[in-house]
Amino acid sequence: MTLQELAQPRQDYSYAFLDAHAKRELRRRILKGIAIPGYQVPYASRELPIARGWGTGGLQVTLSLVGPESVVKVIDQGADDSVNAANLRRFITRMSGAQTTTDALKATILQSRHRIPEEIMGEGQALVLQVPDPEPLRGVTADISKAHQMHADSDYGQMWLLLYEQLVRYRQYIQGASYPALVNGRYVISPSPIPRWDNPKLHQAAHLTLLSAGREKRLYAVPPYTNVFPLEFSDVPFQVEDQQGRDCRTTHIQNKFMNELPQEDGSSQFELSDSGYAEKLMKQGAAGATYYDDQGNFYHADYLKPPVKPTL
Amino acid sequence: MYVAARGGEDAIQHAEQFYQAMLGKLSLDTIHTIQQQLPYLIDKVMGEGSLYSPELAALALAQTGGDVYEAVLLLRAYRSTQPRIAYAEPVSADQVLTVRRISAAFKDIPGGQVLGPSLDYSHRLLRLDVLDGLDDDQIPVAPEAENLASPTYPAVADWQRAQKLLPSIEAEQIEPVSIPDVTTDAVLFPAPRAHRLQALSRADTGGVLALGYASMRGYGLIHPTVNELRLGYAEVEMKHPITGEIFSAGRVRVSQAEVITSDGESGKAGYQLGFAATMGWNEVKLIAASTLDMEMNSHEPHPAHTEEFVMYHTEPVESSGFCIHFKLPHYVTFASSLDSVRKVIDTFYGGDKSQQQPQAAETAQQVQS
Repeated sequence: MTLQELAQPRQDYSYAFLDAHAKRELRRRILKGIAIPGYQVPYASRELPIARGWGTGGLQVTLSLVGPESVVKVIDQGADDSVNAANLRRFITRMSGAQTTTDALKATILQSRHRIPEEIMGEGQALVLQVPDPEPLRGVTADISKAHQMHADSDYGQMWLLLYEQLVRYRQYIQGASYPALVNGRYVISPSPIPRWDNPKLHQAAHLTLLSAGREKRLYAVPPYTNVFPLEFSDVPFQVEDQQGRDCRTTHIQNKFMNELPQEDGSSQFELSDSGYAEKLMKQGAAGATYYDDQGNFYHADYLKPPVKPTL
Repeated sequence: MYVAARGGEDAIQHAEQFYQAMLGKLSLDTIHTIQQQLPYLIDKVMGEGSLYSPELAALALAQTGGDVYEAVLLLRAYRSTQPRIAYAEPVSADQVLTVRRISAAFKDIPGGQVLGPSLDYSHRLLRLDVLDGLDDDQIPVAPEAENLASPTYPAVADWQRAQKLLPSIEAEQIEPVSIPDVTTDAVLFPAPRAHRLQALSRADTGGVLALGYASMRGYGLIHPTVNELRLGYAEVEMKHPITGEIFSAGRVRVSQAEVITSDGESGKAGYQLGFAATMGWNEVKLIAASTLDMEMNSHEPHPAHTEEFVMYHTEPVESSGFCIHFKLPHYVTFASSLDSVRKVIDTFYGGDKSQQQPQAAETAQQVQS
């Protein structure tokens, strides 16, 4: 017997790029993540033909879920046509033969960087969020071994201290995107750098959310119908980004997350960040139900509360 | 507008075509030339790419126009699709067909110092005559040996072990499949030694050098002594699955370094070794990496020399990938921080932006972080 005979015949890449061992590992980790909502599950994280830090975590999850019958939507900052979203979509379809869509409600797998769509996602849909830094405690400890222990002990005192210090200094929470959230009353997660506007959408969602960090080799999940609350003191409620008075320049819709476009005269114009939703409004004049209505009311009444500025 | 370049698909295809047009035609000749004339670059890329294939490394370099991080990523992405069909037999230093082997710890060592091929003592003068085309008929030749050198040499550390200067070690008998594998395991800390040595072997040369240099310069053990540095060729020996006989499937260029110190691991008398090895010949990386290996064993290493810090921050594919990802649009996260900054400004200055805002800059920094 020769070495030649022992070696596998040269073949093209596996279906959906990842080999069967990698897929099996990912699927097991995903199941574990779903079973323990918010718990960061370590995984090996294979190198992909896409640079690390460009969505390889989300991509590995998508590649382990995708099948020929899947319908995939990929967005970056809310846009389907952003260059990186286009590139990831091209890779997923090239390797899997899956169909693509820009319609958030038609997608079976929706891979996203930094946004959750405006339309309410439904059961059977999987939202895959790309995560640069899975560790919400990174700001209070850079050491992941320590952070791991703190999660195990539900030791989130330093996170509360951080918020308290913000209130003392600025009379409000000043965290931008990646606002920490408590999942199922147990684990604090970084919801990935989605704006605060999108945080509430994870609460009691009908869809499954999978969050995956390829470089940091951790994945975690928010299963359907799970409680997700932002870290907030009971007397100083969490606030989403103010979208009041922002009028989309193409659809003239309001109270959705807007991109601010600086103008030469010093003013700003606004347009919908969710390009698939904008496209639907322009083409059909209508779209599915949204998490926030036209007055900016969130669909779970009383989840968001009016601002309170502490007097310290 | 590059961020949401409308028609993103076309844009990215054109950008790639532009790049390829700039590089010109790729030919087999170019690749073979790179492979033959730039062996140290090939070795660096193979080591960091953790795939031994001079031809694929040359192709990766040609395809990326010599962008080393891109070339390493190409190899890694290709490697991650390849099945592991077998495990090679372990290689020990005294079996390596050694072409260069030096020790700074002793004037002479059993088997002798072997300088081998090196630029260490060359004068770093540009060969400007080459540009003038004056050297056309000068083909460099290695000096003829008076006595044929031995192909193999004992390990310096073995002599030190016999002298009881180093603790003696027994090679563990381990089933190859049970060796922890940094490419297929979830890495947790403290990491098994196998993970650490594999990570150092695949590490970014520049990254390892920066952290290792910080140790040498004064943040760590200060003066590691190079106990042994070795470059050579190792036989890739496989066990035949039917006959069980061991045969060589080929030779690979390998290098290894050991540094020695008496003040490494706390509470232990005598000397300790730091070790690193990689595919290909890469001396600077290994001296730095073996220093870091020793640092990681010490009781209270500098924060930049802990296992977690070193392993995370010297990963070439992850560090370079994350660094360049900042080119991607971040306008949603920026909008989120802008909202917070504006609210703070509004709270303290009532929206009057003409006032002095001593805290605003500080706030912006916090929100960004």
